[in-house]
Amino acid sequence: MRRLQPKKLLTLITSRAIEKMIIEALRKRGVGGFTVVNASGAGASGIQSGMLDSDSNILIYVILSEARLVTLLDDFDDMMNRSYRIKVVVTDISILPRKIAATSKNSVA
Amino acid sequence: MDIKSFATLLDPAVLFFFLGIFAASVRSNLEIPAPIAKFLSLYLLMAIGIKGGVALSVSGLHVQMLVGLGIALFMAFLVPLYTFPLLRRKLDGFNAAAIAATYGSVSAVTFIAAGQFLDNQGIEYGGYMAVALVIMEAPAVIMAVALAAMTRARLAKQDAGATANIGKSSGEFSLKNILHESFTDGAILLLMGSLLIGVIVGKDGYQVMKPFTGDLFKGLLAFFLLEMGILVARRIREMKGVGPFLIAFAFCIPVLNAVIVITLSQLAGLSAGDTLMLAVLAASASYIVVPAVVRVAIPEANPGLYFGMALALTFPFNVVLGIPLYFQLIQLL
Repeated sequence: MRRLQPKKLLTLITSRAIEKMIIEALRKRGVGGFTVVNASGAGASGIQSGMLDSDSNILIYVILSEARLVTLLDDFDDMMNRSYRIKVVVTDISILPRKIAATSKNSVA
Repeated sequence: MDIKSFATLLDPAVLFFFLGIFAASVRSNLEIPAPIAKFLSLYLLMAIGIKGGVALSVSGLHVQMLVGLGIALFMAFLVPLYTFPLLRRKLDGFNAAAIAATYGSVSAVTFIAAGQFLDNQGIEYGGYMAVALVIMEAPAVIMAVALAAMTRARLAKQDAGATANIGKSSGEFSLKNILHESFTDGAILLLMGSLLIGVIVGKDGYQVMKPFTGDLFKGLLAFFLLEMGILVARRIREMKGVGPFLIAFAFCIPVLNAVIVITLSQLAGLSAGDTLMLAVLAASASYIVVPAVVRVAIPEANPGLYFGMALALTFPFNVVLGIPLYFQLIQLL
């Protein structure tokens, strides 16, 4: 039986224009899995209507280990220092791992 | 002044634009779903691309075309070059560069509205104008990124401690990247592809596409402008913080650019239709491709300014007043 495994959920809220750059940063750190969701809303740059590509936000969800998260946070910190508008949210979560075998046993150790 | 030019304000497409503005102003829940808005913008680009390609296949290559494209390219470099120092009087280097890029580049929807205006007047324009639209997209962004890099370098000198971060934005976003982003942008790619298909299929092949790209065009343009009206009205509410200098800039620079183009085009002997299309291209400001590129290349700039000015001020000005005004100027000169 699968057991819950502790993980981190990284949620990024940013402009669609920056999507490629962020995904490149994820890939460089070996993160191959992520989910991108179209979003609209408002913030310091005004309304993001979601109607035009230049006027659309996205949410990027990544589930990853704490060790990998730390390296990624450095990358996002660097981007934010360079004035890129990104909101970074980290949440503690638990997931049922895809593979039953060794990973489940290890996870509770 | 010929009032007939301004009678196009009663064109159904323009009236739907007003309806969109009204709907958003009274906070109606009228909304065009985003995928449909995206479809409409791609449809319009496909339609003008194929129409331009067919016109090109009929007219072939000619000297006037090269002159027209030369004026287009000249304006794409001139506008950021003269607007940047002007903007620097009131803004920091990053915002000045971003706005200069936005106004140096073009708006495809304004271009389409101008084409519709000429169709209503029964005046033809060269199919190569779609090429002019494409070549005017990138130069302004390249120049703006260079200007922003200069600003970064200047700030780095002032604050040596920040140097480590300062060089990176410009380094990551190279000339190659900008050209790649500009020419592989979905809208531009579709426009160029449709233009090429129009050239290949010619007038006979166009007959097959006409029910879709010709007969439906006006209705779908009206529908798209309804959506643009909603977007514009929502953005206008956000523009309260923009000072009188930038508001004046958003209305005066388009007219100045149009006057420069009209003068050059008249000297070069271009037709009234070609002159208007070039004037509108020079007068328009990009609110789709350039803001997306600038967000990556000049992250220090405030999108609320360069995107908001182009969409909420210059776009409606050109669609409602600018196009008939430039046409009047062409008739007068």
